[in-house]
Amino acid sequence: MLEHGGNLRAAQQRYGGTDWIDLSTGINPHGYPAPAPTPDAWHRLPERDPALVKAACDYYGAPHLLPVAGTQAAIQALPRLRAELAGPARVTVSAPSYAEHAHHWGRHGHVMREVAYDALDDAVAGSDVVVVINPNNPTGATVAPERLLDWAERLAARGGWLVVDEAFGDTARALSVSGHAGRPGLIVLRSVGKFFGLAGLRLGFVGANAPLLTALDDLLGPWAVSGPAQEIAIAALRDHGWQQATQTRLAHAGARMHALLADHGIDAHGTPLFHWWAEPRPGAFHEHMARRAIWVRLFPDAARGIRVGLPGNESAWRRIEQALREWNET
Amino acid sequence: MLSGLAPTTLALALVAGVLLDLLLGEVRRWHPLVGFGRLASDLERRLNAGRSRIARGLLAWALAVLPLCALAWLACAYAGAAVHALLLYLGIGLRSLRDHTLPIHAALVRGDLDAARGLTSRIVSRDTHHAGESDLAKAGAESLLENGNDAVFGTLFWFLVGGGTGVVLFRLANTLDAMWGYRNARFNLFGRVAARVDDVLNYVPARLTALSYVLLAERGRLLAWRCWRAQAPAWTSPNAGPVMASGAGALGVQLGGAAVYDGVTEQRPPLGTGPDACADDILRAWRLVWRTTLLWVVVAGVALFAVDGVLHA
Repeated sequence: MLEHGGNLRAAQQRYGGTDWIDLSTGINPHGYPAPAPTPDAWHRLPERDPALVKAACDYYGAPHLLPVAGTQAAIQALPRLRAELAGPARVTVSAPSYAEHAHHWGRHGHVMREVAYDALDDAVAGSDVVVVINPNNPTGATVAPERLLDWAERLAARGGWLVVDEAFGDTARALSVSGHAGRPGLIVLRSVGKFFGLAGLRLGFVGANAPLLTALDDLLGPWAVSGPAQEIAIAALRDHGWQQATQTRLAHAGARMHALLADHGIDAHGTPLFHWWAEPRPGAFHEHMARRAIWVRLFPDAARGIRVGLPGNESAWRRIEQALREWNET
Repeated sequence: MLSGLAPTTLALALVAGVLLDLLLGEVRRWHPLVGFGRLASDLERRLNAGRSRIARGLLAWALAVLPLCALAWLACAYAGAAVHALLLYLGIGLRSLRDHTLPIHAALVRGDLDAARGLTSRIVSRDTHHAGESDLAKAGAESLLENGNDAVFGTLFWFLVGGGTGVVLFRLANTLDAMWGYRNARFNLFGRVAARVDDVLNYVPARLTALSYVLLAERGRLLAWRCWRAQAPAWTSPNAGPVMASGAGALGVQLGGAAVYDGVTEQRPPLGTGPDACADDILRAWRLVWRTTLLWVVVAGVALFAVDGVLHA
């Protein structure tokens, strides 16, 4: 398995201490206050609730969505589905990007290559499947939706797919192509974990045309999403008040993080939920922060640098500022 | 026909050559390709030095191949069909392919991993010291698919084009590519001509072989075709790519991928798709090569007799 952020236990084991600030993911630290599930949610088999799909379609503005147990389930299933439907494909995955895509598209006989984010346009012609993360994790680079739709159309013309992972798309709605997820060949992945801060729920959505969603549903099998996850997600997706307040709050927190990093000479890019920069000495920075019980995400190879998420309270902000000041003094 | 033989005679010589190979197998002593190998090594030692390495490589290639081709041509011209058949027998390696790979299958089936490693190390250049059943089966199946082209179908193709002389040209060019066609400091320039000539001579036969693998696919022709289309361009060799990708697709098995060379694990592109290779895939790869041979001999035989009918109608 690939290593990811959010592995705070490993940090505690290695450096000791308990009062850790976890900045190693891009998950909203002020997650949706999940209501207690009803007894039925625990005791009955989780039939798919049409209200969940309806709430998600309304929130994401998508015509068709399939709820899945986290987009990870779809990331793993899509390469297999493609192999079953159309045999091995020439696959281009944007780089540097969230590594799970490349990891799984490298299987099932597909010929996978990673292409730099800004060179994707040229790679579309020689590919059957193109996978792009928009906005990109971790670099924060973006592709305009018009361009994505053009790629999708070119790929669909020869039976190809464009997979757009919009895991961090909630705070950049103008970039989203979810509204077009009924078009042939366009597959959009949405995550409830990041913006809603419900990573433990394991819930995501796949938008695509109906036949493809049926095939994917078939592959993933029944009861893919738990009853409690369905109930909590319905509440979260319908709560426009919370969503608007969160947009504002994240925009402020993101701007604050950007400014804090800039004050310490760091030119970071990203989304409100995370900031990344090409740190020249990423290992040393990671170590420096860990010694102060601040867990950041280290990218030692591809996307060489550091990614930080948002802290949850004022004392954490202060500790981060202190640690950055000390980093500059070293 | 460049062979100078009547179509029916060429067809009979074709069948005779293949039968001789099946009955007698590889020549045990005085194998002509072993002698040729010594000659080629000698030429390389003398010529692979100094400037103009590509031109020197061309000269060495010409000195190694052309006199023997001329000799073969003269022998064919004077002694006729029997010499054509004899040269095909010497050039084709169908029985030898079988004799080198089926024992690996047998060793794996009886659980003798050490014997299987030893047998596999004779036919592939990768490390087999720590190889498991799947690695060895993969190596065996890959070798069968690829060498099916080099040792059998390429030879048959050039026999049909140029008779015994065609066989000699193809086999010698193929041997020189195997000896000199490397992208390392010693051979990058000197071996350029040998590599390119082999690429050219193998271009059509490799694609006919790949097409045959698709037609005879056990696990669906469409899959074999799609593997060819998607996977062949990623393979480093332009001719082995179509052959191995379509062959692995025809078997419905996952080949390519990781292999250990000189202690270093190299990630090669994927070939085919499906479960990892197992011992029986060696047998299945052999059957694919065998059925492809039958297809070629039958199709060529029928075509040659038909041409003869037209000529004498």
